[in-house]
Amino acid sequence: MLPADTRIFMHPARPVPHKAMKILLPDKSRRDAGPGPMTVDALLAEFGFDPVDVIVSRNGTLVTEDAVVGNDDEIRIIRIAHGG
Amino acid sequence: MLHTAGPGTTPRCDTCGEPSVYRERTTGRHLCRDHFIADVEGRVLETIRSRNLIAPGDHVAIALSGGKDSTALLMILSKILPDLGPVRLTAITIDEGIAGYREDTVRSADMLVSRFGIPHLTVTFTELFGGTLDTFLVGREPEACSVCGILRRKALNVAAERAGATKVATGHNLDDEAQSVFMNVLRGDLPRLVRDSGSDSQGRFIPRIKPLMFISEKEIAVYLMLHGAWADLPECPYAVHALRGEVRRMLATLESKHPGTMLNLMKSKAKIEARCGGVLETEPVRHCRECGDPCSGEVCQLCTLKKTLKK
Repeated sequence: MLPADTRIFMHPARPVPHKAMKILLPDKSRRDAGPGPMTVDALLAEFGFDPVDVIVSRNGTLVTEDAVVGNDDEIRIIRIAHGG
Repeated sequence: MLHTAGPGTTPRCDTCGEPSVYRERTTGRHLCRDHFIADVEGRVLETIRSRNLIAPGDHVAIALSGGKDSTALLMILSKILPDLGPVRLTAITIDEGIAGYREDTVRSADMLVSRFGIPHLTVTFTELFGGTLDTFLVGREPEACSVCGILRRKALNVAAERAGATKVATGHNLDDEAQSVFMNVLRGDLPRLVRDSGSDSQGRFIPRIKPLMFISEKEIAVYLMLHGAWADLPECPYAVHALRGEVRRMLATLESKHPGTMLNLMKSKAKIEARCGGVLETEPVRHCRECGDPCSGEVCQLCTLKKTLKK
């Protein structure tokens, strides 16, 4: 129980702002996308990448093409260099 | 090294329920870090065993460029070595002399062999042929891959002989092999289609083996990433001139739309090989009249090429 003289202040409800995803592209440039949610496959299609040619991490963790990303995720798209 | 924990939107490993890092596009199977690594290493071991690529007592020279494929090959072979019996490994590196490209990968190769404690032997085009690939290719860039291929083949043989190796293992992956099948079809070169480098040797050269032939380029990239061994290395500057580049783009698109395309090409090759491989291997072994190396004509490709090289 709260003490009888406790005063409670309530803020009016505010919409939670959706943040854009931060995308680090293979050429090291940065772009915003989203906010999502969307699959990695859809995100790659939006940026014109073939899933066979790249791997993707979200917030430093490798993710599969069917993983769902969005909001303020940090996405890194890494192109697989051929040869070697 | 990347972590493998993720929020609830990450699909889970079909085997253990841990966060998935890889999805097989043909089956839809999800694998976590540990099961993915075990799967790749298990498939390499299976390829080696089912094709008798390495036998106890072998001394395997790993063709280590320092790029992703040969790096993964060295890491995997080092790890599964106890399952192969008494086998020795030596890394051999060919420095062709490609400015702005090979320096980085050679440095990467040096660091890798130090980390794994594997003997390392390097030979250069300058030492063997009197000049760098860059010099040889001035004005003939579109021929880069065929020129480099002939010179590299000789350089690998020299390095492997110097190392005393009984096998040469290269990092060719599923994508490379599927591209080669398709290119040989496009060229109408049936004998080459059914002839792999192992059968091609016929005792003439140290046999070549490709333990990663059923591991895709993407799987190799994920494997390295999970081991903290991914290096953002440049691509060969001459690759843009090659037919292989066009075939690679075409096959990547097909693989993306129709998962399993590359593996199906390999299966097609195996079926053709089984039906007519022996029939087409009829060329008698001859020796080059200039250098004495085994070849199929009067003069080997290397001696023919050497006459045209600028130094």
